Amino acid sequence: MNAQFNDQPAPDAAERRAARLTRLYPRAWRERYGEEFAALLVDDILERPRSVSRVASVVRCGTTARLVAAGLLESSDSTDHARRARSGTALVALSTVPFLLLGLAVWSQLTVNWQWSDPHSPATHVAMLLMSVTTAAFAVLALIAAAPFVWSTGRTLIKGSLRARRRLTLPLLLTLVGAVGLFLGTRHFGHNWPGTGGHPWAGRGLVPTHIASSIWAATVWITSYWAHPRALGAFPPAQIAWMLLCPVALVATLTGLMLTVYRGEPLSDRALVFETRVAACAAATMVAFLAGATCWLFANQPHVAGLSRPGTIDFLAGAAMAGALVVAFAAARTAVSATAALDRVRKARYTRHPGAPPTG
Amino acid sequence: MPTAKAPDLTGPATLILSSLADGTKHGYALTKDIEGFANVRISPGTMYEALARLEKQGLIEPVQSDDRRRPYRLTAAGAHALQEHLEAQRQVAEIGIKRLAGLRGAFQ
Repeated sequence: MNAQFNDQPAPDAAERRAARLTRLYPRAWRERYGEEFAALLVDDILERPRSVSRVASVVRCGTTARLVAAGLLESSDSTDHARRARSGTALVALSTVPFLLLGLAVWSQLTVNWQWSDPHSPATHVAMLLMSVTTAAFAVLALIAAAPFVWSTGRTLIKGSLRARRRLTLPLLLTLVGAVGLFLGTRHFGHNWPGTGGHPWAGRGLVPTHIASSIWAATVWITSYWAHPRALGAFPPAQIAWMLLCPVALVATLTGLMLTVYRGEPLSDRALVFETRVAACAAATMVAFLAGATCWLFANQPHVAGLSRPGTIDFLAGAAMAGALVVAFAAARTAVSATAALDRVRKARYTRHPGAPPTG
Repeated sequence: MPTAKAPDLTGPATLILSSLADGTKHGYALTKDIEGFANVRISPGTMYEALARLEKQGLIEPVQSDDRRRPYRLTAAGAHALQEHLEAQRQVAEIGIKRLAGLRGAFQ
């Protein structure tokens, strides 16, 4: 539906409006079509100064282009299967980060409580079992997923050109600084965690104490205490400082890792297929973890008190984890279908040239 | 081995290719031409979504221009695909019209 008026805007104003609308598209698209698209928009704005259908069409198409670029949506015409697989897999990895941070914060809260007393709740038992097993599965998946990158980064550092090595210096340094900060901080504060309180008889829970205490110390900043400054003020200053520094160290580590992957050698088609499968496994593991968390959140447990009782922040974390899971699943689907297409192309190439190995 | 797939000419693709069959045109000229012969106004977002897809399929190509309104032209593959698509459409239209003629009187 168009609402048209005769108040034709000045060309400058039309240019500004066109530029604003063009920004709804991803950068790669703008680099190719941005200039000519803005010219069409200016002509359209000058002819129909106010058009709801124009804005709606740009919002719809710009959003679609962004979702395709992010690997969340499959483009019917996209033939760059490797790029779709890469962006889909990267998005699964990115959505796993907030999911795991929030999930581990919830899990460590239950772990702390269980070290002191059994929750006496079947729902919490099931939840803890699911979350603990899937946390271990996440650790294994992370190691498996890292292997090809560790190999290619090591090869670049040993055999790569000086330029290639220089490109990796800053990201690796950032990762190292962040990781050392995290290690020292979690080790220091993990020793004083409320799960043991220094008592040797504590540690009756499901999870080994040193693992639980490290995860508690790494997620201690994810807390509703930020909304209660007076209660937070009662914490030791060193712990408040750690609660502020820990996310900085985490961001530094993750940024360093992402830059290392981005600046490193691109993965071969075969390694990409492998990473995509790991990403699909990660998305499935997220479902199992969230099922555990949901089991705890929504089980009716009026008798449960203390840390085993879910609070508002736990429900918010659950909602955010569900959002991250939806994104991860859509991205994993795109990545898997892209690698299937990549495989078909590779096999077709092999059929045409049987002498050549079917690798990318 | 993958088989050659017929290009997807659904949506505004047929209108755009038909317009370009008359000569090179930029986005706004295409909009006005299509509005003139088909009485359909293609919005800018939809127009460039289709232009990008047709370009990737190799059915149209951009023409060098000093103006920032970049014109597009039909490629040989585009002309062939349009020809085949319109022939198929004509066949369907002819059969439909013929069968409707057979029905004449049934609704009077």
